[in-house]
Amino acid sequence: MSTLLRAAPAPRTTALAPGRSRGRTLRSSAATALIWLAFAIALVPLVWIMWTVLSRGLPSMLHLTWWNKDQSGVGPAGFDHQVRGARHAIVGTLLMAALTSLIAVPIAILTAIYLVEYGRGRIARIVSFMVDILSGVPSIVAALFIYAVWVTTFKLTLVPACASLALVLLMIPVVTRSAEEMLRLVPNELREAAYALGVPKWKTILRVVLPSCMSGIVTGGLLGFARVAGETAPLLLVASYTQFLNQNMFSGSMAALPTLINTNVQFMSSDPISADRVWGAACTLIVLVLAINLAGRLLGHLTRVKS
Amino acid sequence: MIINKPARIAGVAVIAATALAGCGSASNTGSGSSSGAIAGSGSSQASNATAQASGSADCFTGSLRAAGSTAQQNAITQAISAYQAKCPGAKISYNGTGSGAGITSFTSKQIDFAGSDSALSPDKGEPAKAKQACTSDAWDLPMVTGPIAVVYNLKGVGKLTLTPKLIAKIFSGKITAWNDPAIAAANKGAKLPSTKISVFFRSDSSGTTDNFTNYMHTTDGADWPAAHGKSWTGKVGQGKAKSAGVSAAVKSTDGAIGYDEWSYAVQNTLQMAQIDSGSGPVALSAESAAEGVSSAKVVGTGKDLSLKIDYATKSPGAYPLILVTYEIVCSKYAQPKTGQDVRSFLSYMASPEFQATLPKIGSAPLPAGIQSKVATTIKAVS
Repeated sequence: MSTLLRAAPAPRTTALAPGRSRGRTLRSSAATALIWLAFAIALVPLVWIMWTVLSRGLPSMLHLTWWNKDQSGVGPAGFDHQVRGARHAIVGTLLMAALTSLIAVPIAILTAIYLVEYGRGRIARIVSFMVDILSGVPSIVAALFIYAVWVTTFKLTLVPACASLALVLLMIPVVTRSAEEMLRLVPNELREAAYALGVPKWKTILRVVLPSCMSGIVTGGLLGFARVAGETAPLLLVASYTQFLNQNMFSGSMAALPTLINTNVQFMSSDPISADRVWGAACTLIVLVLAINLAGRLLGHLTRVKS
Repeated sequence: MIINKPARIAGVAVIAATALAGCGSASNTGSGSSSGAIAGSGSSQASNATAQASGSADCFTGSLRAAGSTAQQNAITQAISAYQAKCPGAKISYNGTGSGAGITSFTSKQIDFAGSDSALSPDKGEPAKAKQACTSDAWDLPMVTGPIAVVYNLKGVGKLTLTPKLIAKIFSGKITAWNDPAIAAANKGAKLPSTKISVFFRSDSSGTTDNFTNYMHTTDGADWPAAHGKSWTGKVGQGKAKSAGVSAAVKSTDGAIGYDEWSYAVQNTLQMAQIDSGSGPVALSAESAAEGVSSAKVVGTGKDLSLKIDYATKSPGAYPLILVTYEIVCSKYAQPKTGQDVRSFLSYMASPEFQATLPKIGSAPLPAGIQSKVATTIKAVS
C-alpha cells in the first residue's frame, strides 16, 4: 500500500503547480501521506472486525438449518453438539423492528411535516428541542423508562411489543431529523407555484411536497429500521430470550439476535458450539443491518429528485 | 479519482475477507467434534438417557417462562430439552439471570417460576412479596443439587487433598504458598512446588459464593469469621465474572485455586481437589455428591421444602461441599392452565427417571427421600 500512497500525489502536484517551491511540494506530499496513513489506521478496526466476524460467523450462517430452524431442543452448553438455527432470533429481530417502524415512522414524519411546514414560534422550538433531547437519550434509559412504566407502574407482564416501544423512542428522533432535512430540501418555488394555482396548503404538502421528497424519507425510514434492528441494550432489559420461534408480539418471550448472542456468550470460552452460535448471530446481524442500509441508500440514490 | 481509491481498497478488503471466510467454512464441523472431545463420554450418555426416557410425563402445549440461578442452568436446560423431546408442544424457556434477578422477576410477575440458589429469605421479605404476586403462598422446591468443586491448577500435582481448615486458610490468605507444611501434611508423598497460591473468586453476586463461604464459615469459623453472603468478602485473590470467568482464570494460571460448580469444572477439564472432612479424602463424583446430599434435612415448614446441608458431615465417602438449587413456584396460580403446566414440567424434573441423568451433566440428584417429598408437593400446585 505504501508505494501506492507515495505514487498517487506526486505527479499531480508537479502537473498542477510546476512553479511551486520544493519545500511546499514536500510538505504537501507529507500531509497527503499523513492523511492516507490516518485513513489506513481508521480502516484497520473496521477491516479487522469485518474479518473476524465474517470468518467465524459465516460457517454457521452457511448452513440451511441456521435459517429455517430455531434453537428448540438446545442442551446444556458443552453437552450439545449442534449449532442449530437462528430463525427465531432473525424473525424476532425483524418483527420487533417492523412494529417499531409501524409506530415510529408515522409519528416522525408528521412531526417533521409540522416542523417544516407549520411550526412557527415557541411550540415549534420546543418540539425541535425535544427531538434533540430524545436523540440524546441513551438506549438503556429508553428501556428503563418502558420497564418502569410497564412493570413498576402498571404491574403488567413484559411482552415482545415492549421492546418495540422502547425502540420507538430511539427511532423517532432519527427518522424525524432525516425527514425534516428532506422536506427542507424541497424548493420553495414548488410550494409557491401550487399556492398560485389555488391549491390549499394541506393538498400542497400531500401532493407536491411529499411526493418530491418521498425517496429521501423512505431512505431515512430504512436507516432508522436498520438502527433499531441492531440495537441491543433495550432488548437485554425488556425482551427475555427464548429458544423457540414466537411470532406473536403480544404474548410470551421473543428472541432477537442480540439476545441470542447474550445467552451464548457466557459459554463461549469453554464451548466451541456456543461460540459458533455467537459468531453466527453476530455475522447475521451485521449482514442484516448492512443489507437494509444498502437497500435504503440504493433506493434513495435511484429515486433522487434531480434539481 | 483520488477519492475513489480508498473505497476501492475497502471494497477489495471486504471481498477478500468474504472469500477467505468461505475457505474457513470447514471449521464448523471441526469445532463441533472438538467440543465432543471436551465434553467426553458423559455427554453422549446424557443424550442417550434423554432418548431412552419413557413417556411417563403428562404433556402440555403452550409456553412457560422461567429465569434465575445460573448454577442450575445446565440441569434445567437438559430437563427442558428432554421434556420437549417427549412433548413437542411444550415451550419452556429459562434465562440464567442469577438467583436475585430471578426472584425479582418472579415477584413482579414477569415469569412463571424462578430458579434460585437459596430459598426465599424472610429477612428480605421475599416470601411476603412472592405471596402478593401469586395471591397464594409461594413454595421453595429443591430440585437440583450441584456440588461445588474446589478447582486448582498446579503443574505436576495431579491429586490434591484439602481439609476444610486448609480451604478456609487458603481462601482467607493465611496460607500463601503451595509447599506450606500444612498442605504437605495433608498430601503425604506429593511433590508440592513453592509456587505462590493465586486465589480466584466470583466478582458477581452468586449463590455459589454464598454456599462456599457458608461452608467455610460453618466448618472453620476461626479462619473464616465473616458470615456467608452472595458477594465475596475475602481479602486476598482476584475476582472473575461468572463461573465461566473463574474457570478460565484457573485454567490459565499456574498455582491458581478457585471454586466452581462441578459442571463448569468438568466442562473446562479442571483439576478438582479432594476434600478430607475427617474420614479420609473424598473425590468429587456422582456417588460422593449423592452421599453428601443425603445428609440434607428439610428445614422448611409445611409445604415449604427448604433444605439444610450438613457441611461438617463426617460420613465416609460424602462430599460435603454441596449447593442446593430451588424452583420457586406459586402454590396456586392465577391461571389454572399455568399451574397445570408448571406441575407437569416440574413433576418430570423431580422424577427419578430425569434425576438419574443429572450426574452426567455435572449436577447431582436429590436423595430419594426428598425426591418423593418434592414430587408430592408439586402435585399440590394448582
